[in-house]
Amino acid sequence: MSKKNSVFDGLLGDNTVLSSLMVISPVIMCGDTLRNAIAVIYAFSAITFLSVLAGSFVPKKLPYAVRIIIYTLISSLVYIPVKFAARQFFPEVIDRIGIYFMLLAVNSLIMVQTEAKFYRMKRGRMIFSLIFYILGFDAVMLITSFLRELIAHGTIYDRVADADMLISGFGMPFGGFIFLGLFCGLYRKIRSVLRRENSGGDSDASDN
Amino acid sequence: MLLITEFIVLLTSNLILTQALGTSTLFIAAGSKKNLIGTAFTITLFTTVGSAAAYFISNVLTNNAKDFTLLFYALAVGILYVLFLTVLYFVSRKTFRNARKYIHLSAFNCAVIGTLFTVTQKAQENPQFNNIGSFIIAGAEAGFGFILASFILTAAYRRLSSSDVPAAFRGFPAMLIYLGIISMAVYSLT
Repeated sequence: MSKKNSVFDGLLGDNTVLSSLMVISPVIMCGDTLRNAIAVIYAFSAITFLSVLAGSFVPKKLPYAVRIIIYTLISSLVYIPVKFAARQFFPEVIDRIGIYFMLLAVNSLIMVQTEAKFYRMKRGRMIFSLIFYILGFDAVMLITSFLRELIAHGTIYDRVADADMLISGFGMPFGGFIFLGLFCGLYRKIRSVLRRENSGGDSDASDN
Repeated sequence: MLLITEFIVLLTSNLILTQALGTSTLFIAAGSKKNLIGTAFTITLFTTVGSAAAYFISNVLTNNAKDFTLLFYALAVGILYVLFLTVLYFVSRKTFRNARKYIHLSAFNCAVIGTLFTVTQKAQENPQFNNIGSFIIAGAEAGFGFILASFILTAAYRRLSSSDVPAAFRGFPAMLIYLGIISMAVYSLT
């Protein structure tokens, strides 16, 4: 894959949720309705973008353990104004999301991928790449919550939809695990087919 | 009978199977059995000692400063992380070099911070629970729940990653569905 293409990897090729299985607990627990999903998307995007960007200014000379603690403290600080704004925009959803709102501040994209991926890039490239990783999460959250809300509750953004059959289990945590597992398998199949087509049919079918 | 009851309680209060907390960490560490079990035991240490710290922090912070709870919990986990690394460094340099990546993974994740918030929430709902002993026990229980989930995943890891499983579902997707089925079974017990 070319260097230019890899900036967009976070959206499809190396999706945060479907490829690396990072930040999956909010998708499983809060991704059962679109209303929850939009609040989580807002919080995740704001906290992750600002925290990773601010963390990139932490001197690399500091020991790894100290840098990690500083990243956590930065994201915990960023969380405060984000939560304050969320109270204005999504007052009824905040309580429903509960502790998952706070846990977005210690998500794997900030805690693991910063040192492993983002801070190895130049800042401009890092920002573009980060935006696509965030968009990758947002897309999965939107699709998952749309389908789970429709299948489990028969509604779309709290409006009744014409759904013939409801499976309420998809609104439960176990339904979230199963749905995400199926979604992840489908994503891998599509990615594998696309990669094979791009490489003229000679790439390995197995890309696990 | 008591053991079975305790086992069921441990399952039904399991933060991974009921609240999906720490699932990402579980999957990151799932690459090796040794790392998975090591990570699970380290997480137990952090949830147990971290819960004691959470008791003091939650009782000191006033209602106006509740938004700073995450900041103080993160600071407490950070201090524990440095202490743990320091102790390990002086006990065995070799273990320190091999294990520090997983100690980092075990310290800063949703399982540890989520446990601290869950335990605090429980104390707010039930004032009888608001004592250091209950906090530590709840933290240890959450850690043991993580160990239990690790064993459940480890038991099936090889089969779910084998060539018998279709390529697209091999590994992580099959593990998610597997955890979903276990979670469904646990849900039926509650």
